[in-house]
Amino acid sequence: MGTSDIAIKGAKGTGAFGRFAHEYMIVLITIGVFVCATIACTIKFGDPSTFLNVQNMVNILRASSVMGIIALGMAFVIISGNIDLSVGAQMVFVGIASFSVINGLEPYIGAYGAIFVGIATAVAMSVALSIMCGFIVTKGIVPSFIITLGLSYIYRSLSIFELQSGGINIKTKVFQNISNSSLGPVPMPVIYFFIVFAFYLYVSRYTVLGRRIYAAGSNAQATRLSGINTDWVKIQAFALLGLTVAIAAIVEGSRMNSMNSSSSGLGYDLNTIAMAVVGGVAMEGGKGNFVNVLFGIIILGVINNILTIMGMDVYLVNAVKGGIIIAAVLLLRSRGKLN
Amino acid sequence: MENALVMRDITKTFGGVPVLKDVDFAVGKGEIHALVGENGAGKSTLMNILGGVVPMDKGEIELFGEKAEFRTPAEAQARGIAFVHQELNVVNDLRVYENLFLGHEIRGALGMLNKAEMIRRTEEVFERMDVAIDPTATVRDLQATYKQVIEIAKSVLFNAKLIIMDEPTTSLTQHEVESVFRIMKNLTVQEGVTIIFISHKLKEVVDFCDSFTVLRNGEVVGTQPTRDGSGALIDQADIARMMVGRDVLNVEVYKQREEGEVVLSVKGLCVGRHVNGISFDLHRGEVLGVTGLLGDGKEELARAIFGDLRHTGGTMELNGKAINPRQPAAARKLGIGLLPSNRKENAIIKDLSVADNMSIVTLPQYRVGPHLMNSRIYGTAEEYRDKLNIKAQSLGNLIGSLSGGNQQKAVLAKWLIAKPDIILLCNPTQGVDVGAKNEIYNIIMELAAQGMGIIVTTGEAAEAVRICDRLLVMYHGDLQGELDRADFSEESIMILSTGGKLN
Repeated sequence: MGTSDIAIKGAKGTGAFGRFAHEYMIVLITIGVFVCATIACTIKFGDPSTFLNVQNMVNILRASSVMGIIALGMAFVIISGNIDLSVGAQMVFVGIASFSVINGLEPYIGAYGAIFVGIATAVAMSVALSIMCGFIVTKGIVPSFIITLGLSYIYRSLSIFELQSGGINIKTKVFQNISNSSLGPVPMPVIYFFIVFAFYLYVSRYTVLGRRIYAAGSNAQATRLSGINTDWVKIQAFALLGLTVAIAAIVEGSRMNSMNSSSSGLGYDLNTIAMAVVGGVAMEGGKGNFVNVLFGIIILGVINNILTIMGMDVYLVNAVKGGIIIAAVLLLRSRGKLN
Repeated sequence: MENALVMRDITKTFGGVPVLKDVDFAVGKGEIHALVGENGAGKSTLMNILGGVVPMDKGEIELFGEKAEFRTPAEAQARGIAFVHQELNVVNDLRVYENLFLGHEIRGALGMLNKAEMIRRTEEVFERMDVAIDPTATVRDLQATYKQVIEIAKSVLFNAKLIIMDEPTTSLTQHEVESVFRIMKNLTVQEGVTIIFISHKLKEVVDFCDSFTVLRNGEVVGTQPTRDGSGALIDQADIARMMVGRDVLNVEVYKQREEGEVVLSVKGLCVGRHVNGISFDLHRGEVLGVTGLLGDGKEELARAIFGDLRHTGGTMELNGKAINPRQPAAARKLGIGLLPSNRKENAIIKDLSVADNMSIVTLPQYRVGPHLMNSRIYGTAEEYRDKLNIKAQSLGNLIGSLSGGNQQKAVLAKWLIAKPDIILLCNPTQGVDVGAKNEIYNIIMELAAQGMGIIVTTGEAAEAVRICDRLLVMYHGDLQGELDRADFSEESIMILSTGGKLN
């Protein structure tokens, strides 16, 4: 009987609520954020409905969908024991290439053909870049933090150089329909997000790759000695992230009808990492639950939304957001100590 | 003899489960007293109560004749109790004296560190302990023994009167163990320090301790001196019997078997400077032992066969076909399995459940299309849980919830499910208690009887003698000798592994 067992047993006898809080801390935090947002809104406007209405809830989901998609891929990379700081720049780099292909091919093969080839280009290129990144990280035995920091500079710089710091517009109007349409009341980006979410949730729980990603992130040496090529597992986790970056590039490009080399995708890296971490993914790898990541994405979405509604000074928004992220992770950690 | 410590009627329950039941424990002043028992017997809990880590429900403690109850480790420390843990809590990048004074640095004027004084006092402590270590050496450059010695030196530096050592020798070789005990003996004789020694290694208890107490299921089975009235040493088997309540050490586990054709043939295998041209054949149904002192190449030999280390020379044939696995994944596909040493670092995937740990090697076989069937994973895990008698409350719990012996069986199970042609077992009973050891030996015998080729690397001669058909003894990377079962003796193994020759 080690001391750690004792700590668990000492802390567990906190009654039904304690056990519930232990299991569903992320749900409680989400409810707390909603309640705080409603109260703040009521105080400011004398009426909670400015925040608490169906249209605003849909807005929150739509505004979170692009980063949310990337956050799902990010969760896999973090669970596998790595991190990727280049997703924002990679999205812009891949987007610019893809949209150039669409613009270039449209006169020859028509809008639909060009869009198809453009999407295929984005997916192939983004997944290839992520696999390359994974190779450098695993074969070079260099921390992914450093490699992806370097890659983010490269992608951003090449994008800015190519467009001379300007943006690229997609000429065909059809392309805009990808994101600027809806299924009933639900905007398409939200649909895309939930499709990716369902797929990644499935991969994490019911596939060999998913199980191996958790294993490799938890104890790479033990997993390797179980006859598993852990380098390849980690590279595949990067590939899963690359896929989400490609989807995000298409959805974002369609929504804005453009991609700007210097201003698009800024802050996406740290925001998506924050979504995963607030959703309970452990930075040391091996731990994370995709349902909780969904809550993490929603929490950050609500925070962004309420700060905008409240008319908070844009220069102050990040300070408040930072404080809330730290508080949320501290609450999750207090639960983690019991594990 | 005067008692340094008396614990009376100590009772402790965790969540309704009694862990200690009216335990009486007394330790004489200046003795080395062993506290032994199987995992879960309550040793650590008893010591954690003494060290102020957990409170007791009932009972009283008398330390050097005075009543005591410690609510925090700091209170226990202030009364002269020091805890030396199993894991080495030394900082490799700091110098020896810096480690000793970590958190208690001596400062001079202006808050600057008074290095000269700290070095002087470190030298003084080493002198009292009669060891020669340079206080200014960086800890990383020291041997494992010395790291352990630094841990002990910390207790001496702060004038500990009672030192609790929790399995301090698990990472040390025979020779190193002896030098640590020599230092401990010096402390008891010259400084009047009392030492409580928690260990699984009964040989050390008999050889080095003055007396011992056995705990079983939270109760004291008995306290005895290690020598009887006439000065004769107690038999290890007697202690083992007290620990598990039945005879275990003398139980015959070895079973005669038919050996089949050659399954693995190794010729002139070299691995860097660790292994120099080793050749041997392994037959189906054979248990081949590889022994030698720590660092003499047995571990590297096994890892090279498994593709975890690249071999730098020689050839290997599996079932008559040349093989050259470049990594463990390739070896697994060829039908080679490996149970690594140091379970915690190399074998346990702590964030996965027992069932997931057991199925990690064979994941693809539980698929239907791309879909992983958890029902199949659990079905197989349950089958092997019953086969190997793995005691687990639930297979869905994290692997860390199992005791050491059951973790080891779960790790073994993950390879057995894969049904390899040969399996390499590195220190298969490391950190496993006496009862579970026999169960693992029985599993090994069973596997051999089914025709698997088995290589066991072990540092314990007694283990090799109990289960192997044939034994390779390595010395400095060379094959120093080969013994058949008929010629086994711990003495001949020791002669060969220390570089001697048999006549």
